[in-house]
Amino acid sequence: MHPNRSVETPGVPLVEMRNISKSFGPNRVLSSVSLTLAPGSVHALMGENGAGKSTLMKILAGVHHYDDGEIECGGQAERIQSPKHAQELGISTVFQELSLLPNLTIAENMFLGREPIALFGTLDRKRMYEETKAALEELDLKLSPGLLVSELSIAERQFVEIAHGIKARADVFILDEPTAALNAADVEVLNRQIARLKAAGKAVVYISHRMDEIFNVCDTVTVLKDGRHVASEALEGITESDLIGLMVGRDIKDLFPQRGANFEDVLLSVQDLKLQADSPPVSFQLKTGEIVGLAGLEGQGQQDIVRSLVGVFKPDSGHILVSGGARALPLPAREGIRDMQRLGLAFVPEDRKEEGLYLGLSVAHNVGISLHSQRPGLAWAKRYKQQVTDAVTSMSVKASSKDTSVGNLSGGNQQKVLLGRYLAAGMKVLVIEEPTRGVDIGAKSEIYTLLRQFADQGGAVLVLSRETIELIGMSDRIMVCHDQAIIAEMQAAEATEHAILDAALSTSSEANERAAVA
Amino acid sequence: MKAVFAHLTGQNSRQGLWILPLIAGIVGFAWLAVSTDQFATPQNAKNLLAQAMPLIIVAIGQMMVVLLGGLDLSVGAVISFTTAILALDAPAAITIPAVFIAAIAIGFINGTTVTRLNVNPIIATLAMQMIIMGLTRLMRPVAGGEVPEVVKQLVSGAVFGVPFTVFWGLLVCLLAWKMLYGSRFGLHIFAIGGGIASGQSDAAHTFGIADKRTTLLAYIGCSCFAALAGIFLAGRIVSGDPNIGPPFTLDSVTAVAIGGTQLSGGVGSLHGTIIGALVLALLSNGMNLANVSAFVQTAIKGAVLLAVVAFQSRKKIGL
Amino acid sequence: MTSALSSPLAQRLLRIPPAYYVFGALLLTLWLTRPQLFNPNVMGIFIRQVAPLGILVLGQLLVMRVRSIDLSGAGVILLVNYIISSGLFPNGTLAFYLFMSIGIGLSVGLVNGVLVGLRRSSAVIVTLATNIILIGVVQLLASGKPPGDVPGFLRDIYNSKVLNVPSAVIIWVVLTGVLSIFLSRTVYGRYVESVGENPTAAHFSGVPVARTVVTAHLLAGVMAGLAGLVQTSSIAVGSIRFGLDLPLNAVAATILGGVIFGRGDGGVWGPFFGVMSFAMLFIVMTTFGIQEPGKLIAQGSIILIAAIFYGLRS
Repeated sequence: MHPNRSVETPGVPLVEMRNISKSFGPNRVLSSVSLTLAPGSVHALMGENGAGKSTLMKILAGVHHYDDGEIECGGQAERIQSPKHAQELGISTVFQELSLLPNLTIAENMFLGREPIALFGTLDRKRMYEETKAALEELDLKLSPGLLVSELSIAERQFVEIAHGIKARADVFILDEPTAALNAADVEVLNRQIARLKAAGKAVVYISHRMDEIFNVCDTVTVLKDGRHVASEALEGITESDLIGLMVGRDIKDLFPQRGANFEDVLLSVQDLKLQADSPPVSFQLKTGEIVGLAGLEGQGQQDIVRSLVGVFKPDSGHILVSGGARALPLPAREGIRDMQRLGLAFVPEDRKEEGLYLGLSVAHNVGISLHSQRPGLAWAKRYKQQVTDAVTSMSVKASSKDTSVGNLSGGNQQKVLLGRYLAAGMKVLVIEEPTRGVDIGAKSEIYTLLRQFADQGGAVLVLSRETIELIGMSDRIMVCHDQAIIAEMQAAEATEHAILDAALSTSSEANERAAVA
Repeated sequence: MKAVFAHLTGQNSRQGLWILPLIAGIVGFAWLAVSTDQFATPQNAKNLLAQAMPLIIVAIGQMMVVLLGGLDLSVGAVISFTTAILALDAPAAITIPAVFIAAIAIGFINGTTVTRLNVNPIIATLAMQMIIMGLTRLMRPVAGGEVPEVVKQLVSGAVFGVPFTVFWGLLVCLLAWKMLYGSRFGLHIFAIGGGIASGQSDAAHTFGIADKRTTLLAYIGCSCFAALAGIFLAGRIVSGDPNIGPPFTLDSVTAVAIGGTQLSGGVGSLHGTIIGALVLALLSNGMNLANVSAFVQTAIKGAVLLAVVAFQSRKKIGL
Repeated sequence: MTSALSSPLAQRLLRIPPAYYVFGALLLTLWLTRPQLFNPNVMGIFIRQVAPLGILVLGQLLVMRVRSIDLSGAGVILLVNYIISSGLFPNGTLAFYLFMSIGIGLSVGLVNGVLVGLRRSSAVIVTLATNIILIGVVQLLASGKPPGDVPGFLRDIYNSKVLNVPSAVIIWVVLTGVLSIFLSRTVYGRYVESVGENPTAAHFSGVPVARTVVTAHLLAGVMAGLAGLVQTSSIAVGSIRFGLDLPLNAVAATILGGVIFGRGDGGVWGPFFGVMSFAMLFIVMTTFGIQEPGKLIAQGSIILIAAIFYGLRS
């Protein structure tokens, strides 16, 4: 089942995806998207969160099946059945989510699904060990292949994942945000490997949020927006702002509401929060009317900081003050969220399908539950008709009725229902992770406006987002995390993507040099 | 040093916490040897081994399913069913293959309902347990019949004074070692279980592992190990008995859990399970020697199981 | 097959709990083959027989709604039965026995609930373990001296009728009604629905997940205690071997009634008809001369088919 090895003849694409469409339930995530991967090229796939990049790549990797369209590998039409099938076709993937298995060793993860076999069908562990060691050394990594993945740091895991992907015998390499947790020096190592693959006539798909990387590494770009194909062209001659323009599709300034002006009383105050016993203390405040963004590379502690505020993450120590109520950290895991809700602080988790919503239950239940949960279990349940109606209409949730199950709504409407739950409960402080993940552009704009309205009416918002553009646009103030500490703070109006990235990369001299050049 | 300690306690290890039951077993062994005269005798050693053997066999099968985050509640019924088949008035050349065909069929139904028809493993195997017990009671309502001479010989015979039981143990351990550690199948079991335990149930599938087929094979393997235990027991009691199997269902889970295998999947070891089964057998043996009534023994085993699972805290509430 | 299953009509039919179909089919079978059994007295006796099962199911459906399970019912029933029939409390009144049953149920439910809800241990194993502990304890207590007679007044109550309906059936229906209102009208009912649908989301939206699960196990224990009291009243002499198959039947009836781990489509009345189906099944099997093994096979098949029915839907 290997594709024709006509790699040397230029012009014959290694992979051609034509008019691919895909829906998840009622949500159409890809409509008629095409992508051509030529040998010896590094192809940037660009688009905002939820534009369909990952879905397109998961289709190519055999994880999802497409509804419509066709895929050709090396000139032959193929229906990719499974990840295994994709591997056999010479497609190797490094996924965005860390998908390594924590209970296996590095070597076992590296060879999982294609283990070498020795005598009598036993695993050739020696070969696995040696080849893994060599592969890690090529990436300047000195890890023993016998270590369990659960013992590695996030950056190390990411490197192992990269090693797993690029060491596969494949012609097409998909790298979905491979550098999210890496610092500048590590990125250099990766770039060398990508150059090697390119020289060997392979095709690489590169997904990243960092513009400078795209321009350093890639030669071609395809832009997706809301699941549609916007453009495919050579990167030469394109500027960064052109690219952003293509991704967003309109001037981004129009997307965001006016920033706040009057910040008065302190609503939330976090003092000396230490994530681990040896990490530096973190302190910050949120005032009424203020939206504060939390930026940083993947796994630098920003998510742990946010989750510490409701007891989902267990930090070492600290104090939290919410509208007059003081609590010592860590909060109790079972009661933390309820306690904070009583004080008026609500936490909106990132993964709305797994952690946020009851997909099988009605809009009314999803909104009303936070009102119910503030009352004793044996009390008669109130119907909260008015509150639910208010929430649904004020947020312009498009649902056929309040009894529709939330699973049938689009991503944007689901996110609005989730926000509506906490707005209906009369919260004062919202702590939000990724407020617009998997949401189309129109709904994004609405969500920004809603959050601004909430702040203007005397609330405060702490928001965590991987999209720097979004953070700059919607926040009043931005704090940047590095290594479990807040190492920089800036006014959003004056912040730039570069400044934030440089701060996030922190003290790396290379980053400073690059910043100086820029 | 810290890393070594972490490995021994089962943290950061795939083998689970097996060192503690080993120590408990050794201490218990020593205590019994010192405190009672009947314990450290060749006869009792033989009894202990014969008592532990079927449990070891079932527990190994059970462990494969538990490593996948599942549970097989039909193993006890399979054991009874096996003894009932062997006690049919038919030659061993027919009944022994029949036993394995039945076991494969049962494992296949369990595995298929779990992997293809999305049924919770506990419900699927619970239902199978009822059906198989029904069939067993149809064939043999009360204990009786006689198993073929070959089967008796297989269990009670000896070569050069070494009882066959020892060979059973060696054979089963070798087979299980090969399946779990000496093949892709075994690695895939750990991979699938590890994915399930860490909340990304399709992780192994993304690596290109045939997760459904592997799971199906694990259920078939589990049933076959139960059938093997059934043959051993039939050889020992030389008849068919519908009531002999059911206690093994919970005992096997207890042995697996004592041996450090996590019920959420992905973490556990063959030696841990064998230690777990031996500890449980030692407990029974000790209680027998101390003349503790069978009822109290049941209750104590239940309490041990309760203590072990209470010790294994998981991420999620539920089954 | 998949296309046939995804048609709107099939989807709608699949949403009705299988209990109603099974109940209808068995009723029809009975009416066609044994019309003479179709009188209130005969039916009343058969339905009265499953009242303990029906009460046990109320607890089972509650724990299954919150993604747990309770297999310790047999132990509770046995203990209640032993204490009442052993003559330990010769002057026991109805109120005494009632409090004792509820107390035993609460204690066992507390152990289950704490281990499952707070320690997050596997519910199957925890409740199976408490079950064998209880059975072992009862058998130990009873060893040597078989249990004695059940007090006569309990038997009288059991045999009494109100408006020609057996009292046991009335107790069962009333309890079902109370639970139905409790789940549909109280905040706790909303908690149960939330935890069943998505425990993580429930935690994040402020539902006290652990407390909800513990409470469900407490209530399941109480129901098991009450089932034990009704079951004991139905027999003249105590026994240490009866009711052992009740928990499995309770799981079967609950699944048949459209309640399966986290999904409560069947509400409270779905499982009620699951139990009624079992009553019909017992009549049909008895009239056709099917013995104990055949019943086991039938029950196992019902659980399997009902579970597959739900598996195909999701």
